[in-house]
Amino acid sequence: MTCEDARDRLLDAQRARLAPETRAALQTHLQTCAACAHEEAAEALLSEVLESRLPQHAAPVALKRRLAAEWAGAPAAAPSPSRRWGRYLIPAAAVAATVLLIVVPLTYQPAAERASARMVTEAVNDHLRILSSRHPLDIESGGIHQVKPWFEGRLDFAPVVRFDGDQDFPLRGGAVGYYLDRKAAVFVFNRRLHTISLFVFRADGLPWPTRGLRRVGGVDAHVTTSRGFNSVLWRDGELGYALVSDVDPVELARLAERLAPTS
Amino acid sequence: MGEAYDHGMARWGRADAGDLGREALAYADTLYNLARYLTRSPTDAQDLVQETYARALTAAHQYTPGTNLKAWLFRILRNTFLSQYRHERHNPTVGGLDTVAPTSPGAEPAQWLRGDLELDRLRKVVGEEIERALMSLGEEARTVILLDLEGLTEAEIALVAGCPVGTVKSRLSRARAALRVLLKDYAR
Repeated sequence: MTCEDARDRLLDAQRARLAPETRAALQTHLQTCAACAHEEAAEALLSEVLESRLPQHAAPVALKRRLAAEWAGAPAAAPSPSRRWGRYLIPAAAVAATVLLIVVPLTYQPAAERASARMVTEAVNDHLRILSSRHPLDIESGGIHQVKPWFEGRLDFAPVVRFDGDQDFPLRGGAVGYYLDRKAAVFVFNRRLHTISLFVFRADGLPWPTRGLRRVGGVDAHVTTSRGFNSVLWRDGELGYALVSDVDPVELARLAERLAPTS
Repeated sequence: MGEAYDHGMARWGRADAGDLGREALAYADTLYNLARYLTRSPTDAQDLVQETYARALTAAHQYTPGTNLKAWLFRILRNTFLSQYRHERHNPTVGGLDTVAPTSPGAEPAQWLRGDLELDRLRKVVGEEIERALMSLGEEARTVILLDLEGLTEAEIALVAGCPVGTVKSRLSRARAALRVLLKDYAR
């Protein structure tokens, strides 16, 4: 397979559209061609960035109401509808009239859940970046009182972290990262050989989960598992927190208890 | 009674018509999102979506059950945009895709594309930067990237854009290359 052939197929490979033999040939080429391997990594990253960070604009509720109402009112707006319109619009309008009351709320909920799931996905992706990075820390820890001041001037908020680290969960250090569309303070803790990432970010404007909440300290937290990683997300005033690791969920909850406000 | 009606109703019974309305309204968010990126304006986007639904209802008899309703609605929305909004209101700030130099697989990549530099920058871009970069592309590029993001196949995108599948493939490739070039200026 030539480089041109390989690059023509990178997006198809991402979308799982290649035949097995073509996929195998592409993989063989990527293992021996650094330039194409870079292209593959860049294309995959571009897709991930587009999927997880490009702002999605939801239709205003007023527009949805207007659409449903206009569909429902279409026959009345046409006093002498042709047989075509009458036969089509009457059943359509009858259903459309119920859309606002039944269907729209139903479609909102999955959309809200999908948006919340994106928060978990983003947290796990950010954690994976830390795991795969050669230099994940901008500031090595000399303790929380050395790490926290380091963020001054690097963020548009002051991260509040209530736990300094201890022998069970030593604080390794911190870095400036990104969470969805905003900057985040990243704190990295250890639990034995496991890495635990804590992301602190502005909480406004995010689709915070409203289901699957569990009491952690003094807050309701979203506790879930995604792709083998456990995560705990919570909001404390203007700040949001996402704690992610492959450490045992009970141990992660112990750390979350120490980080979350007590009341 | 028109032939189109008879033809349409042969495919769409009363219950089917209701299903179409229900399904179509469920795509309001998706259509509005594309409309926002096409028109660059919340007000225009609302008008465009409203006009799209009006046209969809009128053309319901042309929709073939079992085919991709979302792609069909996207096609109506884009055609409506091209006929009513593009020339009157907002022209792209960057020319069409043909003005964007595609990446040449055999050519040496620019320095910034080598190694981890580009990847590091891509990792650091935030939502508003991606949105800004996307909005600076031409309409064809924005459309093909957004439709690909929506999970449409190349054949479905071709239906929306009214062009051959091969053209979609090359447009998408060029659009993504253009986006990568633009994003290199961000996240520094």
